[in-house]
Amino acid sequence: MAEYSCLIVEDSPMMRQLLVFALARVRNLRVTEADDGVDGLRKLASARYDIIVTDINMPIMDGLKLVKRVRSDPIHKDTPIVIITTEGSQEDRQRALQLGANAYITKPIQAPQVIATVKELLKID
Amino acid sequence: MTKDRKSGSSDSDAPGADLRSERDLFLKKFTGGAKLTEDFVREVEQLQERLRHLEAENAGLRAKVEADEAIRDLLSKIERLENEKRELVSRFHRAEAVNSEFTARVQEVESEFANLANLFVASNQLHSSLSPRGVTRRIKEVLAQLVGAERYCMYLANQDTTELVPIAYEGVAGASLTPVKIADSELGQAVVKGTASVSDLDPTQGTVQRPAAIIPLSVDEKTVGVIAIFSTLAQKKRFDTVDFELFKLLGQHAAAALVSASLFAQTDRKLPGLEAFLDLSV
Repeated sequence: MAEYSCLIVEDSPMMRQLLVFALARVRNLRVTEADDGVDGLRKLASARYDIIVTDINMPIMDGLKLVKRVRSDPIHKDTPIVIITTEGSQEDRQRALQLGANAYITKPIQAPQVIATVKELLKID
Repeated sequence: MTKDRKSGSSDSDAPGADLRSERDLFLKKFTGGAKLTEDFVREVEQLQERLRHLEAENAGLRAKVEADEAIRDLLSKIERLENEKRELVSRFHRAEAVNSEFTARVQEVESEFANLANLFVASNQLHSSLSPRGVTRRIKEVLAQLVGAERYCMYLANQDTTELVPIAYEGVAGASLTPVKIADSELGQAVVKGTASVSDLDPTQGTVQRPAAIIPLSVDEKTVGVIAIFSTLAQKKRFDTVDFELFKLLGQHAAAALVSASLFAQTDRKLPGLEAFLDLSV
């Protein structure tokens, strides 16, 4: 059975822990954590990931900049990106999707929604 | 002789009347017999024709009977298949019902799991810091990230329990938050009663004067403060079961974690010696 890898980029340790718990429900998904955009890029440079789940508001490098950088990276330019954020306005959503994000989930998160989104983007049952 | 007979025929040679009559009778009979034979032959031919016709008709009827039997067989087969189909459809519906029941149960379990994960993470985070600032930051994180609070404030009661003093807040100007009298305020009522209160109104529309939720904070069964959630994020239109569980958890753990962290800070972050734990057996 195929194994998938996911990179979580989130500055809040609590949210990271929660996302790790949620994504542990997806079979054969290996999760790696990064605590901001720069850390995320570092991890993306050293390994290939099948999906990226990122927050927007983070210190050093925010999630939108990360999305831009990922989309210009030849290895990860097609990797699905899920944005998880407190910003719930239509403009924020539109902006993230225009930059190349594939899905947009607002906080507080519902674990089943995160799981369903990741499964859908990875095309797994 | 013959010539003679011809040439020399005479009336005396001519057959007699009786012979002629006999001949005529014979001829008549012969002709009648020939006619009868012809009739017989015709009749035989007609009968043969009729027989062929009947045989053909018989073959047709036999074929029809056979076809009818085949149709009867087919009809019976169709009926059997229809019964099988009905049985399969009924089994399919039963299986579908079991499946949707199972799916609903799985969703319920997944949802319960998610709620428990939220509570575990909140509890884990609240107790993962031993600095008052760290605990406060984590309380704020629980409120913002797990509950979806946008504007909120944590108040602690003063020494003589007459006022609630704002000690940490988010989304509101600090200057707008002043100490609140316990005796004559909605926040104070939560301290007095020791129970959480949640407004019936849309939590996104709550205000400092009319908070969406007030959570009393207790330490050792004594209420020492409150968390007032003035309003929630735009997408958080109502509080769910897990939010009420988070309110309970915050009520029971937030102040205790804060007090522990404060005491630890007061001892210059010095861990108590072993002697402090020696007499704990009950």
